[in-house]
Amino acid sequence: MKKQSFKIFSFIAISAILFSFSPEMGKYEQPILITSAGQSADVKLVKLLAKKQELNAETKLMADLSDLEGIKTLIIVPGFSSKGLGAAGISQQDEMTRVETLVKAANEKNIPIVMMHIGGNARRGGQSDGFCRLIAENCKAMIVVAQGNEDDFFTRISEEKGIPMESVEKISFAAEPMGKLFK
Amino acid sequence: MKKHHISAIVISLITILAGIIASFEFHKLHVSESLYPSERLSSEGMLSDYFSGIKDTNGDTKVYFFDSGKPGATVFLAGGTHPNEPAGYLASVIILENLIPEKGRVIVIPRLNNSAFTCTDPMEAFPQSFHIDTDKGPRKFRFGSRATNPLDQWPDPLVYSHKPSGQQYSGLESRNLNRAYPGSPKGTFTEKVAYAIMQMIEKEEVDISYDLHEAAPEIPIINAIVYHEKSEDIAMYSILELEMEGLQFTPELSPKNFHGLSHREWGDYTKTYPFLMETSSPVQGRLRGKTNEELILNGVSENYKIAKETGALRIAYRDEGEQLEHRVGRHLSGFMAIINSYNEIHIDNTVKISGLPAYQELVENGIGKYLNN
Ligand SMILES: [Zn+2]
Repeated sequence: MKKQSFKIFSFIAISAILFSFSPEMGKYEQPILITSAGQSADVKLVKLLAKKQELNAETKLMADLSDLEGIKTLIIVPGFSSKGLGAAGISQQDEMTRVETLVKAANEKNIPIVMMHIGGNARRGGQSDGFCRLIAENCKAMIVVAQGNEDDFFTRISEEKGIPMESVEKISFAAEPMGKLFK
Repeated sequence: MKKHHISAIVISLITILAGIIASFEFHKLHVSESLYPSERLSSEGMLSDYFSGIKDTNGDTKVYFFDSGKPGATVFLAGGTHPNEPAGYLASVIILENLIPEKGRVIVIPRLNNSAFTCTDPMEAFPQSFHIDTDKGPRKFRFGSRATNPLDQWPDPLVYSHKPSGQQYSGLESRNLNRAYPGSPKGTFTEKVAYAIMQMIEKEEVDISYDLHEAAPEIPIINAIVYHEKSEDIAMYSILELEMEGLQFTPELSPKNFHGLSHREWGDYTKTYPFLMETSSPVQGRLRGKTNEELILNGVSENYKIAKETGALRIAYRDEGEQLEHRVGRHLSGFMAIINSYNEIHIDNTVKISGLPAYQELVENGIGKYLNN
């Protein structure tokens, strides 16, 4: 086996083992709304994963209350990006307000939130963590790329709040557990 | 002759001699080092071929063409937008000196802001050059400035107003090529260079374009691929591919209202899919400490290690340092991954290249092995 394929095989094997031992991630319904918390373009990677899993999902970086109409699951991708905020033409505080309002409304409407943190350590610390904490504490399930959880930030929230968490080694490997949530 | 006359003559002669030596040193800064394109180079031109307004100025620069002879997409790669970001420049040099075009064609401009190679930034204590060891001895490369040489464009306005958007930047940015696009044939020196580049992209019908950069470890946009919204799919597929190779890149969307930058204006004004890549370069950072060739090459900075550990800021710094091989290797892998992703989406107009070292090869063998001198 080539070195590269062995590596990939090992990652898949490890991910599969982790998956089988994690607490029940639960089942969710479609249609899905995917949005960002912090305006990082990671949300576009999640959009790509949803497409690969053939999920009925719409992606809106700046989703607001009206976008929740008819939505059965809200996937939020936390991660701060100054370029992203610049592109949206808003401040960090504006973004926090938008996300807080959206989370509150989703909770009121009983629309479950799934967090997908896939940006690794580039979307942790500094200005990202406020968004990460808000979403992690308010979600029903988390899918996390391991590098973004090296300090057990998400593990701790998951344990404290009893929220099931799935950890994967690579962004691509997040597609499978994501798909399973809806199948 | 009186004694004080003699000493006056001696002092004058010494001053004149020192002046002559200094002028030679100064002149050397304007001589560009030789580059050695691969055997598959098909032709060479000048940027002034696209806009004669920069002919015989420091803004003119060589344009290298690698045509496979087989129809396909056209790729444009720019190094040296900011000549104080050596990995961007060196990645373009390695591509220039090793590239084999198999299908479609590749255009390389290693010294995009040629004027900025002729000076360093004031008050920064940057070395004027750095050396890469090769089999035939050390090869010297210029370390330049972020901005056009003030000898070519001066004085700076208090506030730089980007044309045509009217967006305002600090006066210093008026000499920053990456705030000057789309440029203007009647504008400043830098705007004329930017205009010539836009003309080239348009006339050569460039499909994929790259602008290679580096940034300080404390800058938020780092180890990133900055993409125009129309390049989104290519960027996302590339990031997944690179992650599989063990290289983490973050996607960053080019803000629509952030004007003058390559990843914005190249894409807005032409059909090209633009990409700008950033690596983490400690020599550019505020915390870098001793500023020397060693730091350019090894990228090892104790200060950044400490800064990262405090957790006060997000610092993109590896504990083992940000070596030049690593930074150049990231650019080369990013270059390849974007081409691969483009090909997957545009199956009827692909581009194929070979001859470039993979990331791991470059890190193991060093940059010198891939230089042609
Ligand atoms: Zn730069």
